[in-house]
Amino acid sequence: MPTHRPEPRRRSDVDFSASVVGLASAKVHDGSVTLIQAIGLRKVFRKPDKAPGIRGSLRHLVQRRYSEHVAVDSIDLSIAEGEAVAYVGPNGAGKSTTVKMLSGILVPTAGQVHVDGLVPHRARVENARRVGVVFGQRTQLWWDLPVRESLELLRDMHGIDRSRYQERLERFDSVLGLGDLLPVTARKLSLGQRMRADLAAALLHEPRVVYLDEPTIGLDISVKDRVRSFVRQLVSEGTTVMLTTHDLSDIEEICQRIIIIDEGRLVYDGNLQAVKDTHVRERTMSFELEDSLLGADQIAARLPGARVHLESNGRELAVTFDRMTLGARQVLSAVLAEVEIVDMHIDEPAIESVVRKVYAGQLQAEHGGATNSEPMR
Amino acid sequence: MRRTIRLYRRLLGAQVRATLEYEADFWIMSLSAVLVQGIGVVFLWAIFESIPEINGWRFWEVVLIYAFVVISEGLSTLFTQGAWTLAVTVNFGQLDALLMRPFPPLLQVLSSEVGFNGLGNLVLGIGLVAAAVRHVDFTWSPGRIALGVILVIAAAGVKIGLNLLTNCAAFWLRSPYSMFAFSMHTFGELARFPITIYGLGVRIAITAVLPYAFMSYFPAAAVLSDGTARLLGLLTPLVAIYCLWLGATAFRLGLSRYESSGH
Repeated sequence: MPTHRPEPRRRSDVDFSASVVGLASAKVHDGSVTLIQAIGLRKVFRKPDKAPGIRGSLRHLVQRRYSEHVAVDSIDLSIAEGEAVAYVGPNGAGKSTTVKMLSGILVPTAGQVHVDGLVPHRARVENARRVGVVFGQRTQLWWDLPVRESLELLRDMHGIDRSRYQERLERFDSVLGLGDLLPVTARKLSLGQRMRADLAAALLHEPRVVYLDEPTIGLDISVKDRVRSFVRQLVSEGTTVMLTTHDLSDIEEICQRIIIIDEGRLVYDGNLQAVKDTHVRERTMSFELEDSLLGADQIAARLPGARVHLESNGRELAVTFDRMTLGARQVLSAVLAEVEIVDMHIDEPAIESVVRKVYAGQLQAEHGGATNSEPMR
Repeated sequence: MRRTIRLYRRLLGAQVRATLEYEADFWIMSLSAVLVQGIGVVFLWAIFESIPEINGWRFWEVVLIYAFVVISEGLSTLFTQGAWTLAVTVNFGQLDALLMRPFPPLLQVLSSEVGFNGLGNLVLGIGLVAAAVRHVDFTWSPGRIALGVILVIAAAGVKIGLNLLTNCAAFWLRSPYSMFAFSMHTFGELARFPITIYGLGVRIAITAVLPYAFMSYFPAAAVLSDGTARLLGLLTPLVAIYCLWLGATAFRLGLSRYESSGH
């Protein structure tokens, strides 16, 4: 027997290389543990190349041509326990594909994933015990069964004991108003009701990690608020949340960290406030003036570096300034020194403008350093 | 193991309730099964009206083979009809939800539908056996009866494994229709008759390639006759294990190709 045979690849549920990776990077700056780790994550889909029309489809039967579509292109992620991370990007950026790989639904074409020490697509059953997923577009409930039945089936699968189950139901009832939905068959639920029931189904077993893929899509304001406050509560209890959304209020209300991807590549990964500080430094103060003003030159002179704009009616004044160099108080006193004001308001930087910059391809140029590098935290 | 069986029963039970949401379906499916399988018997009877025996098999013996198919198919329909939903489940990306539950995805797929037509099959199948045993020239010992029961269950295992295997084509074909599996199933119908009436090619195909003959002809021969067919028939439980393993392997391979929907 040769003594230096290469070790065969383990096929056990728990991939032990996971713990090695885990140890190497387990400690993040604040001493918390990395729960989700992806290295060089990649997913390539093969798509048939067909010319349009029936003719194209028929030709494809004999001339089989395929092209590769890279949905996720070498993404590195590292998310610590208890973090709330927003995962954003335009349609088709690869958000859902990433979430599906992290949750074990899709097998990555290349790269590694470890979630709570497991390789999700290899240890599916064990992974499902620790993870909860909500897909906004699709229900996970049993279509022809009352919500209560679905929850009880899940209770049995997860092996949750009766009293704990009751506690969970009461909790869901108080936050999500689940009680009224229990006797209703899933296919008869409205979108908002379905989402509430789906949240309950995904969180019944108190998962450590929760992936929310567009959880507020198509919901009205009141349901959105309910869902958001529920997720905020989860985060405050230490659940790790990864949120995919197009709704910027979701992000601002729930997350501290934002990861932006575009065309399958990581474009930005960092603290939400830092993003705002770096990329949304401009702030605008608007004033309604007591008397109409002929020119704003004197105000502008008092505020070097700021842009002062006076509406043609002479009664509306807007001052745009870099909030790192000027404070709102300075602006206010400069304006008050020249005119009387009736009303004023400040436009706070919204994450929307950052994402817009990214979508327009600006951020990458400005912030090339953050691309695919260590997470900036 | 006990947990697995209990959960499987729970899931099937839930499907019974879900199916009973559509009560008319229940009656239509059960009755149509009796009709469809019954017509087959009438067809057999019509043939045997003009020929007294086929390759040494008499009418009531063929009815027993037939009963084997009807019962084993009934069992597979009743308990594992979910295999036939695989094409739609894969095409629509509905496997996602199953993959996020802590129970083996394969068992969730198999238990995702209850075929009430299986009940009709069982009723008819048992009726056929009861009618046939009186006419078959044979001594029935407890050993034979036990063998029969074991072989029927094994035959159901063969059918379940083959159903799963052929339906797993959905992972590769990706269409929402189980056409491939259905055409293989139709091909398997050949095994309702003594397979000695077919040419060598067909016999090899339904014995070795997709061994549908092990859900009917061989196990029936093991109970009724002697010779090679009987020996092969005694192997039915092994063939069942092999078919189930094939099906499970195809499912595992398929799952790694699964692409969900809407990336």
